[in-house]
Amino acid sequence: MPPESPDIAALLTRIATGDRAALAELFDLEAGRLLSIARRIVRRQDLAEEVVQDAFVAVWQRASQFQPERGSASGWLTTIVRNRALNLLRDGSRIDYHDGETLAAIGDRAADALNAFDALSERDALKTCLAQLDEFKRRAILLCYVTGLNHGEVAATLNAPLGTVKAWIRRGTIALQECLS
Amino acid sequence: MTEEEKRALAGEYVLGLMDDAARRNFDRRAEADPELAAMAQALAGHMAALDATATPLAHDPALWSRIEARLDMAPDTNVVPIRPARPPLSRLLLPLAASVLVALGIGYFTGTATRPMIEPTVIAVMLNQGEGTPSVIVEAYADDSVRLIPLERFSAPKGQILQVWTLPDPATGPVSLGTIGATEEIRLKGPNLPVPQVGQLYEITLEPAPGSPTGRPTGPVLVKGFAYAPVR
Repeated sequence: MPPESPDIAALLTRIATGDRAALAELFDLEAGRLLSIARRIVRRQDLAEEVVQDAFVAVWQRASQFQPERGSASGWLTTIVRNRALNLLRDGSRIDYHDGETLAAIGDRAADALNAFDALSERDALKTCLAQLDEFKRRAILLCYVTGLNHGEVAATLNAPLGTVKAWIRRGTIALQECLS
Repeated sequence: MTEEEKRALAGEYVLGLMDDAARRNFDRRAEADPELAAMAQALAGHMAALDATATPLAHDPALWSRIEARLDMAPDTNVVPIRPARPPLSRLLLPLAASVLVALGIGYFTGTATRPMIEPTVIAVMLNQGEGTPSVIVEAYADDSVRLIPLERFSAPKGQILQVWTLPDPATGPVSLGTIGATEEIRLKGPNLPVPQVGQLYEITLEPAPGSPTGRPTGPVLVKGFAYAPVR
């Protein structure tokens, strides 16, 4: 994992004062990464760009709400993008997962989720702890986090009953946190 | 809540399995429960390593200019009060005075350089969703602005805000026209939208200040109504 750029928190401080040049710098620095995170979830370039666009407007309006003691600046940005992407994915009028998504696209999601896991550094505790989970719990957690699927969509993707998937995710996230702490 | 239940909840939160309402509920709980807050924060910090594996993608060169265009009409700068709200009865008794004030208000808002707008394209009466009584009139103009005329006064609780929305068409989804602290006669300069249509939905929801975190309505609908064309 690359180290966090210390610039991001400083840029947010400037953005909170209404400094538009700072927002432009942040865009140059982060837009490509955020777009990639959004695209893992919404799957389409145009929708991912829409998410990033909304996110930068939100950053402009809410930069003063960033609290360093609650987490990293890049994590704060990522959360804004993730939540917007998830809302777009859940907005039935924009994307219809159940009817419109092909088997190939489901495969792409599963591949993205797996690739993200594989790309984690071997030294990262997250990789060690995810690797200790049963395969299905691990895959369910990765599909949710990386590609934004909900319980029902994970059940369809893994071809497992909904109740079972809910239990996997619940037990899996509890075990993951115990391992990480 | 047991520690296990808290971990399960923090897991759902960080994995993105909660809808907006559940997420806000969790945020409120976490405010009062530092242990729960710490669990979510720790898990989110670890999971962020997965986001860091995303390979940066190229974007449309026009993306930044689209963002800049949106900044120019951000909700915190688009609210221009015309005058304080007045009791509805006096408005009904003094139509002439009211129209003079409207004319002055329009002049004040648009300045002398632009042509004044004469008539709203459509008008909606938003009904109070509790009692079903008329609550706020919306006049929507062809220049994307709307004027709100309250028939009853209500305000947002501390830390929250009233957000005005319209639904130009289902494919676009709800679009924010701006935010207000309380109902008052006010003109909001909305984003660039198609000319308002008969039947178009207008509504006001209660959102966390300074506005919906998602750009879409997330809170309860307080008043809503559909647009009609005035008879001329």
